[in-house]
Amino acid sequence: MFNIQEAKRNGQTVLKLAGELTIYSASEAKTGLAKYSDKKSPQELDLSGIEEIDTAGVQVLLWAKREAAGRKRPITLVNHSAAVIDALDLLKVTSLFGDPILIVPSGK
Amino acid sequence: MAKTIMIIDDSASLRQVVAITLHEAGYEVQEAIDGRDAIAKLQGQKVHLMICDVNMPNMDGITFLKTVRTLPNYKFTPIIMLTTEAGEEKKKEGQAAGARAWVVKPFKPDQLLVAVSKLVLP
Amino acid sequence: MDLDKAKQTFIIEAQELLGAMEEALLTVEGQADQAEAVNAMFRAVHTIKGSAGLFGLDGIVHFSHTVESVMDRVRSHQLSLSSALVSLVLECHDHLSQMIADLQGGDPEPPASREVGQGLVNRLLPFLEGKGVEAGSAAPVVSRQTSKVPESEQGSWHISARFGADVLRNGMDPLSFIRFLGTLGTIIHMAPFVDGLPGGEAFDPETCYYGFELDLETDADRQTIEDVFEFVREDSRIRIIPPHSKVEEYIQLIRDLPEEERLLGETLVAGGSITAKDLEECLQRQKQESYEGGSVQGRLLGTILIEDQAVPPPVVAAALDKQKKFQERQAHELKVVKVQADKLDKLVDLVGELVIAGATAKVLAGQTRDDRMMESTAIINNLVEAIRDTALGLRMVQIGETFNRFRRIVRDVSKELGKSIDLEIHGAETELDKSIVEKLSDPLMHIVRNSIDHGIEPLEIRKARGKPDAGTLSLNASHESGSILIEVSDDGGGLNRSKILAKAMERGLISAGSAPSDQEVCNLIFEPGFSTADSVSNLSGRGVGMDVVRRNIDELRGNIEIETEEGLGTNIRIRLPLTLAIIDGFRVGVNHASYVVPLDMVIECLDLGPFLESEENHLINLRGEVLPFLRLREVFRINEEPPQRERVVVVQYGETRAGLVVDKLLGEFQAVIKPLGGLFRQIRGIGGSTILGSGEVALILDVPQLVQLATEQKHAPLKRLPALPVIG
Repeated sequence: MFNIQEAKRNGQTVLKLAGELTIYSASEAKTGLAKYSDKKSPQELDLSGIEEIDTAGVQVLLWAKREAAGRKRPITLVNHSAAVIDALDLLKVTSLFGDPILIVPSGK
Repeated sequence: MAKTIMIIDDSASLRQVVAITLHEAGYEVQEAIDGRDAIAKLQGQKVHLMICDVNMPNMDGITFLKTVRTLPNYKFTPIIMLTTEAGEEKKKEGQAAGARAWVVKPFKPDQLLVAVSKLVLP
Repeated sequence: MDLDKAKQTFIIEAQELLGAMEEALLTVEGQADQAEAVNAMFRAVHTIKGSAGLFGLDGIVHFSHTVESVMDRVRSHQLSLSSALVSLVLECHDHLSQMIADLQGGDPEPPASREVGQGLVNRLLPFLEGKGVEAGSAAPVVSRQTSKVPESEQGSWHISARFGADVLRNGMDPLSFIRFLGTLGTIIHMAPFVDGLPGGEAFDPETCYYGFELDLETDADRQTIEDVFEFVREDSRIRIIPPHSKVEEYIQLIRDLPEEERLLGETLVAGGSITAKDLEECLQRQKQESYEGGSVQGRLLGTILIEDQAVPPPVVAAALDKQKKFQERQAHELKVVKVQADKLDKLVDLVGELVIAGATAKVLAGQTRDDRMMESTAIINNLVEAIRDTALGLRMVQIGETFNRFRRIVRDVSKELGKSIDLEIHGAETELDKSIVEKLSDPLMHIVRNSIDHGIEPLEIRKARGKPDAGTLSLNASHESGSILIEVSDDGGGLNRSKILAKAMERGLISAGSAPSDQEVCNLIFEPGFSTADSVSNLSGRGVGMDVVRRNIDELRGNIEIETEEGLGTNIRIRLPLTLAIIDGFRVGVNHASYVVPLDMVIECLDLGPFLESEENHLINLRGEVLPFLRLREVFRINEEPPQRERVVVVQYGETRAGLVVDKLLGEFQAVIKPLGGLFRQIRGIGGSTILGSGEVALILDVPQLVQLATEQKHAPLKRLPALPVIG
């Protein structure tokens, strides 16, 4: 299950994406993110809750990133979950996002 | 978490071999004897891949494919269709219904495992 | 990998499929709608082929493949199912059955079998003409060349991929392909391609906009790398360039020397890596792609050498969407759980134990005089009885399968004899005990063959008698007051009374001048060595006569009778008990023990005294008929004094009668037969055991043995049987 939650951090809107961001939820994600395309536009997308992501999911993130950049209200992707890091790395699109990724040591 | 694969085929021995092969490779395996049985067993549970024979009684593979694609949870699930080289007509029909992954019967267990691995690694 | 168990499953499955196939083959002729039968045949070989491939049984795969191809043509109405083809496919069916049997016997594909197979394949091939010889040519198990790539091809492969828009919707994820490539080698360089991803509303989140250029270092061969994309290549643009290709040089050459283009193209096509058309496309694409993106431009040149993956465009496939809807097959689906027979026997056995235990509990409960206790044991005992009946019911099988086997026999035999015979089957769903069904098969076979061979007349005679050309043989099964009635009837010539009488006199079975009734005449054919056929065909007359049939039926505690009308036909009726596990018994007591005599062998019961003819010779006089008798207390060495009044049970087996002397007559009852343990099997006179309601064990007498024993000792001192081991 995929969901988007809005939070405030230091007066800024942060959207927390959680669950499975896959082809099954890509449309939902797109619609959800499109709601924030106006003045409420968030500054950060928190990806810590993404448990599973596929190419469709990555495409949605890339779309959101580019949309925001086009509106001159850039967003930063933060707190990439392991699943997200893995997918971005495999698709070699990390540099297309340009967001710093905090590599957390994978010890349990 | 292990990936779940459902094998849908009316041959018990084929299911058994496929299940052993995939299980040893690290997948969870579910079995169904035909399309109708598969639909009954899916019930919304997460399945990462389905392997489905084309020739089956009680809802053949193509009908199953068309049916399962209408279910929200399985609209985009990868499905490997098992066919014969004699089944060109079926293949066309399946392709029209969106089937892209085909494995020709008879196959060796390893061949199926390779096909599966391309779509879903354990 | 332990596939032995799966192989067993395969054998059972194949046998079932072949059974279904045979039935379909035998019923298909004359059916208005053959689709279902043809499908059943197709699916049988299809499934066997598919599973055999998994076990690497290439011989079976190869053979069933050819049969499947032929059946597929029949299925798609490219070939009609002629009688000749049915016969040929029947032979193929037999060969497949033999192959499965060989596999089961642990000797898969003996050389002789291969020859038979090849012979059949050669005969099948004409039916595949016009379809290309491909079908029968080689074992179709796809064997990928896994040979090591030539030295020159080691190094890094360039892979260029632009995935089709629908790839994600079809369940394919480029991520998976990249992951899988990672298992083949090392991705040393990779550049993504997402320039096509549109902004705003135009972005369709389910469409794939992704592509990549990558270099893979691997020693996998070309085929393996290509196959990674086999599921998406129809919708995507995938190019694979082997290591060390001088692509740029090729292109440069083509550009510089346009008149050589064709020649070069041919060279490349001959090399298997490119088509002439592709070469032209190359140049177009190369121009186009040079605009696509900065960082990968250097690589782009590498994408130009195209291995042609062109396939009919998706449009073609889409056009086929209108194809006829599938008919949902309405094959009657019997929900069946397969259980090994010995498990059922074990269950029946345990139920027997349960009956004993239940009976004991009942007795003990009675002693407590506790009403609630007695009530609850009564309930338990009712349940136990219900379980006993249900358990025995589990072994009941439908006779249809046995009957269906005769379709084949009738077909084959009637062809051989040049007779046309229709087989009618009624009551196929009638159930009887599995062990009876198994033993019934042979005698039934004999009767059926007799009917075809001797019963149904040759065509000329039938015509002369004004009968339809085709003879009718019918197999009926039905329930009849606690037993099963099986009838085999034909509309043939019937039994010829005078012929039988003549033969019987010749054989000395009856004396000249006697006038036996019709029924008695009929019964004569059950005498050993009796056969009236003028010529002995290779069907019946194999030295096995109706006497054997009757003996078989007797062993099943059944009986057989014949009704015949000369010139009109014969009807043979076999009555069988529902199960071998329960008999109607007659209980007798000797000393403190109970014995059971199968009721149908009991003629009458008497007091010994008035009928005793000779104590010394063990003879009784039954209204003028002198019969030998046996004292059970002597047979089983019970040394205690007999009661004053001894009783005799007169039993009959076959034509022989004898008396069994016992202490008490205890009446009829239903006995659940339990087999004897190995220890008791050696003892003559005992056929089994049963459990009485009280929980006691009673031995079931083996009447045939006892009758024989009585006859042998008629004029001799009683031969002692070995001592009976103490039970319990």
